[in-house]
Amino acid sequence: MSHLLALDPLFQSGHVGFSVFLVVAVKVLVAFALLLVSVMLYIWGMRKWIADMQNRIGPNTAGPWGILQTLADGIKLFFKEQSIPDSADRVVFRLAPYLSIMPAFLLFCIIPIGGQVSIFGHQTFLQVADLPIGALWILAMSGLGVYGVMLAGWASGSKYPLLGSVRATGQLLSYEAAFSLGILGVLVRAGTLSTHDIVSQQRWVNWHSFVSQWYWLPAFVPFVIFLIAATAETNHPPFDLVEAEQELVGGFNTEYTGIRFAIFFLAEFMNVITMSAVATTLFLGGPSGPGLGFLSAGNALNTWLMPVFWFGLKVIALLFVTVWVRASMPRMRYDRLMALGWKYLIEIAILWVLVAAAIEVANVQNWNVWATVLIAFGSAALAYGVLYLAIPKPDEVVEEFR
Amino acid sequence: MIAQNVAFGILAAAMVVAALGVVRTNNVVHAALYLVVVLAGGAAQFILLGQEFVAWVQVLVYIGAVIVLFLFGIMLTRAPMHPDESLDNDLKWPAAVTALFLAGVLGSLLIDAFHRTKIDIRQPIRTAAVTNAVFRTYIIPFEVVGVLLLAALVGAVVLARKD
Amino acid sequence: MADYLPILVMAALVVAFASLSFIASGFLGPKRPNAAKQAPYECGIVPEEEPAERFPVKFYLVAMSFIVLDVEIVFLYPFATVFRGLGLYGLIIMAVFVLVLLVPFAYLLSVGALDWGPARRGVERVAGPILRTKHAVIDPNAPHPGGRDNPDDEEEVAA
Repeated sequence: MSHLLALDPLFQSGHVGFSVFLVVAVKVLVAFALLLVSVMLYIWGMRKWIADMQNRIGPNTAGPWGILQTLADGIKLFFKEQSIPDSADRVVFRLAPYLSIMPAFLLFCIIPIGGQVSIFGHQTFLQVADLPIGALWILAMSGLGVYGVMLAGWASGSKYPLLGSVRATGQLLSYEAAFSLGILGVLVRAGTLSTHDIVSQQRWVNWHSFVSQWYWLPAFVPFVIFLIAATAETNHPPFDLVEAEQELVGGFNTEYTGIRFAIFFLAEFMNVITMSAVATTLFLGGPSGPGLGFLSAGNALNTWLMPVFWFGLKVIALLFVTVWVRASMPRMRYDRLMALGWKYLIEIAILWVLVAAAIEVANVQNWNVWATVLIAFGSAALAYGVLYLAIPKPDEVVEEFR
Repeated sequence: MIAQNVAFGILAAAMVVAALGVVRTNNVVHAALYLVVVLAGGAAQFILLGQEFVAWVQVLVYIGAVIVLFLFGIMLTRAPMHPDESLDNDLKWPAAVTALFLAGVLGSLLIDAFHRTKIDIRQPIRTAAVTNAVFRTYIIPFEVVGVLLLAALVGAVVLARKD
Repeated sequence: MADYLPILVMAALVVAFASLSFIASGFLGPKRPNAAKQAPYECGIVPEEEPAERFPVKFYLVAMSFIVLDVEIVFLYPFATVFRGLGLYGLIIMAVFVLVLLVPFAYLLSVGALDWGPARRGVERVAGPILRTKHAVIDPNAPHPGGRDNPDDEEEVAA
């Protein structure tokens, strides 16, 4: 169990001197700048991709191919008035943007984007922080994201923001559970909570690793559940009921103007990028890929360039999928959204975890794997049967909670 | 060691101030937010003791779920947004005396019980150690927690039913 | 504990970034408040009626169920790291724990607490007569007040 305590070699001496602090500062600054630039590029890319899918031109004026459009929008918002409605709770109204942006940045801190590297003569992992409880950190940060949405809507003291934030909080809480259970599907296979260890277990040996080492296939059901739940957690279409313009004006941030609105906007899109990075880390091998043995260290190409290249490529691929979904799918109805989360995703994920655990134990204890699978799936099917019988059918919905 | 003690002092002071805020403020949402600060301070204290797992469980369950339920309940029942004078009354001083008395009793009890116990904080306690304790030594309480949660959920449904 | 140093630095950087943005925008942006701008947004008209006094109690049930699930997940996460060493024993204790928690879920589903669709009359499936305090079972033939999908009501109005 010693691998449960995966500490960054940077801190292994136990002494935090000035040069160590310098390394930390450099890593944090680089991650911060990287996130801001990638949000800028993602918003531009999203608009371009959607424009292509809809036979439009999209942003094309600011900079080459309109690439600076997001920056221009951001600068414009600096020059706009920050208005606070008279009915607002001024303290909480000002606090909410911080609560929204903070988890978005902090969640990215534990994402490994490379192997072990050397900065200023210090060995360290290419990630901002390697916490031994990394998976819990993902949960905690995505859970804290609820506060920004909830308090922004409440503090506005206005009708539509309140409706939007109640709806959003219900959605976020519902999918938070499915989201955590999706991550659990990987943890059962990996047996560790540290993101660095999860990634090292998915290292690239040969082309066979793509299906056998990366967790997307061994944990395919959790992968699908994770993607659906993460989309809902980030309020991305088809789950963007939070900002359903036709019903709610703009949702929880209707009363926010100028740079405060920009911060919410930034947090929303940064969450999409961070969630793609989490999915890459957990299911798609993180920075591993053909053409490198990054964990065995080596030259700069192997420790820096290739891992970052593969990581970036996977994140961009996932981001493209979110844009594709955004362009293709209509918004879901609220009752269907809740039904999907509570009646299907959560139950399937819980039972999957138990079945996967049974198979893992069977491997360790040398039981007959097929008998174990049979018994595990049999018990799971029994539990499903009871739950299915419990669900009222569409023509007999019970009406008691109005 | 000194750094840890200083950090403990700062966190403890922040927790006391926030805890006073919880009972002093006239706005329920502000009270809940002060409570978040108190609980986050508690989690930070656990980290100082090297108990990372307990710390993040505290954040997940208390800050991420219980306080969210509080705030959600406040929003759903549309509590007044502006300070509510009826939340204050004349019993401040008796309450302060009771609180100090309680703090004294609990504090002396804890000091009496644990003043010889030392934790080696240089070696963080591993999650696996906590987990093995939960799943082996304290297995009965663990299963009872399950039944307790069952009761809580059924209770919530029964409360919310129309009849 | 040094593990948390980068996190603290990042948090400080984010707070500095956001506050400096707000301060800079405070200097750069105009400040011309007026009554219409400071009023809560209502699509341009003056707000006349307050939104509904309370929200549906189902939102509360969602939050409550989330707490229960959250506690369950908090136990499952560390379980995922040690269950190999626990063997069959570990599987059994976790199966018992999870199955105990599937019971209230079945109950929630059966009473329609997680149904958000348009309200319709219907019958209870599981445990209705036992857990009800009065009115043993909803009579499926009785006309229902305010049921949205109830053609009987409209006929009565027409008559």
